[in-house]
Amino acid sequence: MQAALSYLLHTLFPPTVLRPTELGADVLILATGVIIVTVLTRQKKWGWLWREWLTTVDHKKIGVMYLIAAIAMLFRGGVDALMMRTNLALPSVHFINAEEYNEVFTTHGTIMIFFMAMPLIFALFNAIIPLMIGARDVAFPRLNAVSFWLFAFGALLFNISFVVGGSPNAGWTAYPPLTELAFNPGPGEDYYFMSLFISGIGTTITGINFLVTILRMRAPGMTLWRMPLFAWTALCTSALILFAFPPLTVALGTSLLDRLFGASFYTLGHGGMPMMYVNLFWLFGHPEVYIVVLPAFGIFSEVVATYARKPLFGYSAMVLSVIAIMVLSYGTWVHHFFTMGAGPGVNVFFGLSTMLIAIPTGVKIFNWIFTMWGGRIRLTVAMLYQLAFIPTFVVGGATGVLLATVPVDYQLHNTYFLVAHFHNTLIGGTVFGLLSGLYYWWPKMFGYKLDERQGQWAFWLFFLGFWITFGPQYLLGLQGMTRRLWTYPFGFGWHELNFISTVGAYIMGAGFLVLVYNVLWSMQHGERDLTGDPWDGRTLEWSLPSPAPEYNFARIPVVTARDAWWAMKAEGRANQVKRVRPEEVAALELPRNTGMPFFLGLGFFIMGFGLVFRWWWIGIAGIVVVLASMLWFGFDYDDKKHVHPDVIRRTEAALGRLEA
Amino acid sequence: MSLPLERELEGMPLEFANHEESIKITGFWMFLVTDVLIFASLFALYAVYQGGMGGGPDPAEFFHLGPALFETLLLLTSSFTVGLSIWAMRRGQTRAMTAWLLVTLLLGAAFVVTEVSEFVADVAQGYTWHQSAFLSSFFALVGTHGAHVTFGILMALALLVQLSQRGLNAITARKLFTFSLYWHFLDVVWIFIFTVVYLGGKLT
Amino acid sequence: MSHPTEPALHPDQEPVRYLHAHFEDDRRFPWGKLWGYVGSLALTFAAFGAVAQHLWPPTALMTLILGLAVAQAGLQLGVFMHLRESRGPSWQIAGLALALFIAVGLVGMSIWVMLFKSGVS
Repeated sequence: MQAALSYLLHTLFPPTVLRPTELGADVLILATGVIIVTVLTRQKKWGWLWREWLTTVDHKKIGVMYLIAAIAMLFRGGVDALMMRTNLALPSVHFINAEEYNEVFTTHGTIMIFFMAMPLIFALFNAIIPLMIGARDVAFPRLNAVSFWLFAFGALLFNISFVVGGSPNAGWTAYPPLTELAFNPGPGEDYYFMSLFISGIGTTITGINFLVTILRMRAPGMTLWRMPLFAWTALCTSALILFAFPPLTVALGTSLLDRLFGASFYTLGHGGMPMMYVNLFWLFGHPEVYIVVLPAFGIFSEVVATYARKPLFGYSAMVLSVIAIMVLSYGTWVHHFFTMGAGPGVNVFFGLSTMLIAIPTGVKIFNWIFTMWGGRIRLTVAMLYQLAFIPTFVVGGATGVLLATVPVDYQLHNTYFLVAHFHNTLIGGTVFGLLSGLYYWWPKMFGYKLDERQGQWAFWLFFLGFWITFGPQYLLGLQGMTRRLWTYPFGFGWHELNFISTVGAYIMGAGFLVLVYNVLWSMQHGERDLTGDPWDGRTLEWSLPSPAPEYNFARIPVVTARDAWWAMKAEGRANQVKRVRPEEVAALELPRNTGMPFFLGLGFFIMGFGLVFRWWWIGIAGIVVVLASMLWFGFDYDDKKHVHPDVIRRTEAALGRLEA
Repeated sequence: MSLPLERELEGMPLEFANHEESIKITGFWMFLVTDVLIFASLFALYAVYQGGMGGGPDPAEFFHLGPALFETLLLLTSSFTVGLSIWAMRRGQTRAMTAWLLVTLLLGAAFVVTEVSEFVADVAQGYTWHQSAFLSSFFALVGTHGAHVTFGILMALALLVQLSQRGLNAITARKLFTFSLYWHFLDVVWIFIFTVVYLGGKLT
Repeated sequence: MSHPTEPALHPDQEPVRYLHAHFEDDRRFPWGKLWGYVGSLALTFAAFGAVAQHLWPPTALMTLILGLAVAQAGLQLGVFMHLRESRGPSWQIAGLALALFIAVGLVGMSIWVMLFKSGVS
């Protein structure tokens, strides 16, 4: 008994998770957990939580859950970033030690890409896409919930590594031999591979779901060439997910086989090639860059047209450039490892293919600018992010073309120049885009606007903080500072720029706090949106009340033009579209809530946890839960609930949308 | 919806006649697309590692063409029988449909048994995937396919129970149709495994 | 832009060239499936025989059996998998075509990149 207990304690809480930062995190997590449990119990909200949220299959609620999870992960990833920047603020600062620094940059990258950017994108897909194309839900509502819970439990598994067992520490790309069992024996890397494997399955399902939703469930009359640009980018993003995630799944799975079951894929002995992992990882990794940036392009295309009060300039060129980016992005992955030395032929090919992508991207930049040209622009927060995005992303893209030039890459590979470049595209493109989209669609999701003045504060802090952080990093890279460096001595001349960069990071952190305050304040005092169309929007989601009722559309609209809602308003049919006559309301079948997705995710979590610690019986128990949930799924024919027309009539009447 | 759509529905098989179920078929095709890429990645691993023998055996001495050809014939035949099952389903002959599905299942089981016994024999000879990257990629590629077939058998069993409980309706018809897509797809993958791994192994 | 009076197309009716759906009609006897089966057996034995007999030099032989495999895959897709069947455009054809393109690129380029045949090694 004593022996078992000490074994458990030693395995779950080795010295590496008993350092001050980890203990601080432990206390914080425990405190948050206790508060949440107490509040839920005191208010008797457990049943409500289960019935209304944990078992929901409503795309709008799933979108909200993705959003909450993504903001929490943004906080976690941001704290990681601040820890790194604090350590680099001055020469020879030892705020955290080298081992902790490795863990922190690993979790920062992994969380920001997989558990922040991706779910934030899915939050907006879920919240908006079905409304935008005139559908009552996504194609597979239950699988949508499955996706969410696989993501959520994957994220949970990844995050507990910090306090239970030990964090991964080989970078967000997890290259072997750094991850080879012989050199990295702790559970950290197993956590990494397992959690990404689980959430990756969820992401693949999301890709299938939205692809089919957009292909098969558009409102009558909404042909592909009448689809809003955000729906087009969602379509292409989903297709990218379909083609990009399988190589990642294989890379992660084979790494797990190496670590757990003694295979020899990427080991240094036995004929394995560590670089083959790198090859597979970037076969996923480069399309992934476009998976996270294409939705931002879509958001900007909606935002700019709405706030400039003009149709998007060059719609067909915009669509074709999205498709071109989608296809080209599969042919560029080797530029992440030019320095492997595959030879001039390979490097020239991939250098050129990388530069080619700048062409469709440039087309898009010009089209956004031409959309603004001559428009009556309203400088809302969403539009500010758009205006900040264009120059920021242009710099990010231009430095990308620099890095695609092979000889230059040999100099700058893995320096802070690269770090600055990809933050330039990921923050300047993806994060600005998603924040713009949040401010734009927030009233549609929650029924109230985010306060504009506070939003502007958050914007300026975030935008200026961004440039103060990453501007100096370009110069640091040119001065030879390499990435993933945990500290540096005084004499290198790096300290001024590093100090400025750290100040910028804290300014961005302040921007995040203002953003959170903005949300909390607006929840209480924000301007309620009673019209459903606060921005004078152009697309179908603005024809609905904010937030939309569970069934979205009492009557599916018929689309006759691009910018469907704008056209309806122009033709004076807005009220006709919004209001429904009692006899037009038909009975509906909506998907019924189910606990299956939650248990499926839980099963994967148990399996992952068991395998991480090589407690095979727990792993097998998890697999049994997974299979049982799938059987439950297969045998549950009662997956629909019938909604009586009277219920819909009452709801519409309460919203003032029922003709007397 | 509008009238022309209704008119189009005439002559449409049961599994497509229900709009929602037809969407699920599209979704299943898209799942198969992801699976194509899973196997492509595994083939890429295999192709690159073909020469990574480490201290292990080389492909020519490692592969036995006899069992591989037998497995191929089993899968090809099962692909034919599941096709017959769908053909019977579309004519409403539920008994023939069930019978052909059962035959498919048995052939699949025979395939899995042959493959597993081959693997067991390899491991007994000391040819494990620890030995070389080549063996790792071989077991991963062929094993992933075998796991797919095993999962397909479990799927078919669950489907047989549902068919006996509920008979043929839009949902069970769609499930059988998607199962047949899955099964044929595994056959296609096996053809490439047979060609590239087993036959190709004899060419090096 | 189209006129509002134009009848609205349901997405399932949207005409997309090359992706026209078409339902198979094999009413009396499954001749198609039978010939598909016979064809696949013939292709398999042809490949097997060619390798067993060492018909050609290895590279040419590999090309031949890969060609036979592709033919057989096409046969499975066309005869057994009802490739063209769909309501509305057969989106799966577009998906599979793209998948095939990317899969071939993935395997081929991985070999090209990883086996260092282009120069330095």
